[in-house]
Amino acid sequence: MSKRTAKDAHLPVGECVTQVGINQDLSSVYNFSDAQELHLLELLKRTAIHGESNSVLIVGPRGAGKTMLLKCVLRDLLEDKEAQKSLLQVHLNGLLQTDDRIALKEITRQLHLENVVGDKVFGSFAENLGFLLEALKKGDRSSSRPVLFILDEFDLFAHHKNQTLLYNLFDVSQSAQAPIAVVGITCRLDVLELLEKRVKSRFSHRQIHLLSSLTFTQYLERVRTQLSLPDGFPDSRFAQDWNDGVKTLCGDKSVEEVLQRHYNSSKDVRSLHMLLMLCLSRVSVAKPAIKPADLLEASRLCFADAKANMLHGLSILELCLIIAMKHLNDVYEGEPFNHQMVHNEFKKFLQRKSNSMYNFEQPVILKAFEHLQQLELIRPVDGSSAKTQREYQLMRLMLDHSQIMEALQKYPQCPTDVKQWAMSAFG
Amino acid sequence: NAKKRKDFRTLTTVINAGQHILIEGEDEDNPYVAKVIRLFGDESGKQKKAVVQWFVRVSEVPLSKLKLLGREPHPQEIFLYQGRSCDDEVNAESILRPVQVKGGSYWSFWTPLCLNLLENLQVLNSDGDDDEDEFVPSKKELQSSSDEEEEEEEGALESDEEEEVLSKKSRRAAAGSCTPRSKRKTTSTSARTPRKTPNKKIPPGTPRTPRHATPSIPSRSLPARRPGNVLEEARARLHVSSVPESLPCREQEFQDVYSFVESKIVDGTGGCMYISGVPGTGKTATVHEVMRCLQHAADVDEIPPFHFIEINGMKMTDPHQAYVQILQNLTGQKATADHAAALLEKRFSSAAPRKETTVLLVDELDLLWTRKQNVMYNLFDWPTRRHARLVVLTIANTMDLPERIMINRVASRLGLTRMSFQPYSFKQLQQIIMSRLNKVKAFEEDALQLVSRKVAALSGDARRCLDICRRATEICEHSPADPFSTGLVGMSHVMEALNEMFSSAYITAIRCASLQEQLFLRAVIAEFRRLGLEEATFQQVFVQHRALCRVEGLQPVSVSEGLAACQRLGACRLLLLEPSRLGVLQRVRLNVSQDDVLFALKDD
Repeated sequence: MSKRTAKDAHLPVGECVTQVGINQDLSSVYNFSDAQELHLLELLKRTAIHGESNSVLIVGPRGAGKTMLLKCVLRDLLEDKEAQKSLLQVHLNGLLQTDDRIALKEITRQLHLENVVGDKVFGSFAENLGFLLEALKKGDRSSSRPVLFILDEFDLFAHHKNQTLLYNLFDVSQSAQAPIAVVGITCRLDVLELLEKRVKSRFSHRQIHLLSSLTFTQYLERVRTQLSLPDGFPDSRFAQDWNDGVKTLCGDKSVEEVLQRHYNSSKDVRSLHMLLMLCLSRVSVAKPAIKPADLLEASRLCFADAKANMLHGLSILELCLIIAMKHLNDVYEGEPFNHQMVHNEFKKFLQRKSNSMYNFEQPVILKAFEHLQQLELIRPVDGSSAKTQREYQLMRLMLDHSQIMEALQKYPQCPTDVKQWAMSAFG
Repeated sequence: NAKKRKDFRTLTTVINAGQHILIEGEDEDNPYVAKVIRLFGDESGKQKKAVVQWFVRVSEVPLSKLKLLGREPHPQEIFLYQGRSCDDEVNAESILRPVQVKGGSYWSFWTPLCLNLLENLQVLNSDGDDDEDEFVPSKKELQSSSDEEEEEEEGALESDEEEEVLSKKSRRAAAGSCTPRSKRKTTSTSARTPRKTPNKKIPPGTPRTPRHATPSIPSRSLPARRPGNVLEEARARLHVSSVPESLPCREQEFQDVYSFVESKIVDGTGGCMYISGVPGTGKTATVHEVMRCLQHAADVDEIPPFHFIEINGMKMTDPHQAYVQILQNLTGQKATADHAAALLEKRFSSAAPRKETTVLLVDELDLLWTRKQNVMYNLFDWPTRRHARLVVLTIANTMDLPERIMINRVASRLGLTRMSFQPYSFKQLQQIIMSRLNKVKAFEEDALQLVSRKVAALSGDARRCLDICRRATEICEHSPADPFSTGLVGMSHVMEALNEMFSSAYITAIRCASLQEQLFLRAVIAEFRRLGLEEATFQQVFVQHRALCRVEGLQPVSVSEGLAACQRLGACRLLLLEPSRLGVLQRVRLNVSQDDVLFALKDD
């Protein structure tokens, strides 16, 4: 009886577990310093409620929670009815709005100015700029609705011609026109050096640096909270079991080692999330808990070397060519090589062997060589023109020796003489 | 009454005193309108002259003054001109023909704040050739002309008819087509055509074309809150946008610009001036202040009235847009860049019987550079024309801009009237903050001094100074209440604000980086030392990285892992990298000094 109820509870829970993994609010994972959150919140509040113009940059490495910080602050801000009613938002992304013309159209569209019909914006680039500036100029602090400009990938906007958009936004934010707040989000620490002098002068120099000074204990704690089920979970018994399982998992020595390695590699929350998702995906009805082995497997997947993996799919001939290149690199200290040199090196190897197992025709070898180039395991040296014959085009190997050796160890049924050839110091 | 005859299209037109006439001007479609007061012959008796009372068309009224009207003017409306800068004697040859003027009283822009009521004018005798152009005002217009300050001028022009037909056609085409492409502005002369064309119903489903889009930001429902306490009050006053009562520390520059522009306006001549200075030294603010004062002087009739136009190189998409913007500010006309250039050329080179001085402010001049430099050439050439009456004030950041980017003929026309704004000294900055605060006591004396000294040492940028002060008030507001504190912004708050704004984040970023990233940075430095160069390929650094991992007793890193760490460092620009498609061959450089990296990594 008890077995049946348990089974009934498991199936939906099994689905739920995955959903919890996907939908879990990442904001709980970030712990922003209160000062930074307060700084941004107060700043935006003053724009929304007092009509004060501001500009601010949020700077931090990828995955540090820059966008999440802004999202949290906006959520808090919009709880205020007064702010919610008046604030207009314009979201721009440097990867989407690649020049000022597109950016201006997008701003006009998002603001629903009067030259917008449906989704189309009328007028030329110059007219749009004039129109927008005129609109902002007509506004004033006390009567017009404040506009919040969010510029994601801010550094890319600095590469637009003359930085017209940035100049104008910052100029509006520093003059008695419609109240605006400009929030830039970027991962470049040197972003201020990208701005032109006059643009820089108009920027208020407020910067919020998001740098995670997370210790390993905090990291472990984060893993635990991230995996644990919340109190409001429908099946409380399952949740209890699950959370206990997570606790024992985090206490496991090998798990701790794996997590330590991940922590050493990157403190980025997203990569951690990736690892945990891989673990969660191995949970099934038959095995409703995460075992240390799952985590080890997931970690192995995360750390797998893509290029070395690619070597496993090569033919013996191609592998031999790679080994010949490795020897050439050793002899000539990384100088570029061409097909002919590789072929000679390969022939030297064949001469020492009496058996004719690897006797290939020249065109076959050339074909294999080209295949390697297509896989981008080798690439032509920049500047060597396409005019030279293919056999004599200079190439470089895109692999590290460690990758080759690692791949050879794992290559299925690798001939021993090839292995030995690879290990030998002299080709 | 002196009478005179004049040949006009083989017809003879009789002009009487008291009659309204059209006088040829620079715009052929819109001749000047005037009323004949007296006709006389000059000494030799050969040339006939007329003393006239000028009127101005809507299109000639500066936009700033048009706003005083408080309503939308009829495109054919005319206004009494009472400026004194125009010659009121005209040659009889320049008179085109008489016109009818309808309506009651005159509204004059040149006597502000009082309605200038004249006797009701009846339609005067008009000759036969005018009849064909007679236009019967619609009911609506008659109603509006009963309004006391309204008058209609009969734009008796053949071209009107043609334009009517044209615009009707285009309108129909626009209504018929489904594409919302016909954002056609009605020209001023054909503005009354829509009333004559039957109102076509636009088929539902097609979006309405924005014909008269007015640029505006929607207004908020609740008014913005006023500052509540001393610190908020101080913050509002310290915002760069708040207009100060006066501009302290720029008295000398103000005086120089003022006297330059004033003398040109009074003399009715033209000239150029070049103003340079690093950002945030009050160049634009000073010129604006000068213009405010001059405008005031013109309003109380101390100096002749003038036009003030402002363009900014950064606020246009292309240098040639400068012409379009100038023309639009001058006359309200819209034109393409080439056409606008031609119109302006004509306007500034032809002699017109009455013309006000135009003061043109060109901000961010260096952006108007083109390969042939014809925009700059024209801007500096127009003032030298005899009849232009144009004063050009140019602003840019660099002192030697004329020598650096301008070719000789442009630089020579710009002339040598130059002025450079020095960065503010700490005393001046202090004075600026004090004057802005204007007795609002929010800062301790020492704190102010610290800010101004720091900024003066760095850049002398007043904007920076104000921003730091504003940030300091915020920090003060949120700092825990200290029983001993005065509630004012003190040294500690200012220090914190300065740190936030000026400290570089590189060192903190390195300290917060993950262990592998830190090891990679170490490896980079080790490899640089080994090579004796400031550049290495990833492959070379990676060898060092693996060695370091062994030393630290960590698991050896794979190439992907090392590459990922390298890319992350590259994304925050701690390292400078080649494009990532080069893989292990990409070259790596440091974007911070080696000492900084070692310093940051030393403690742990």
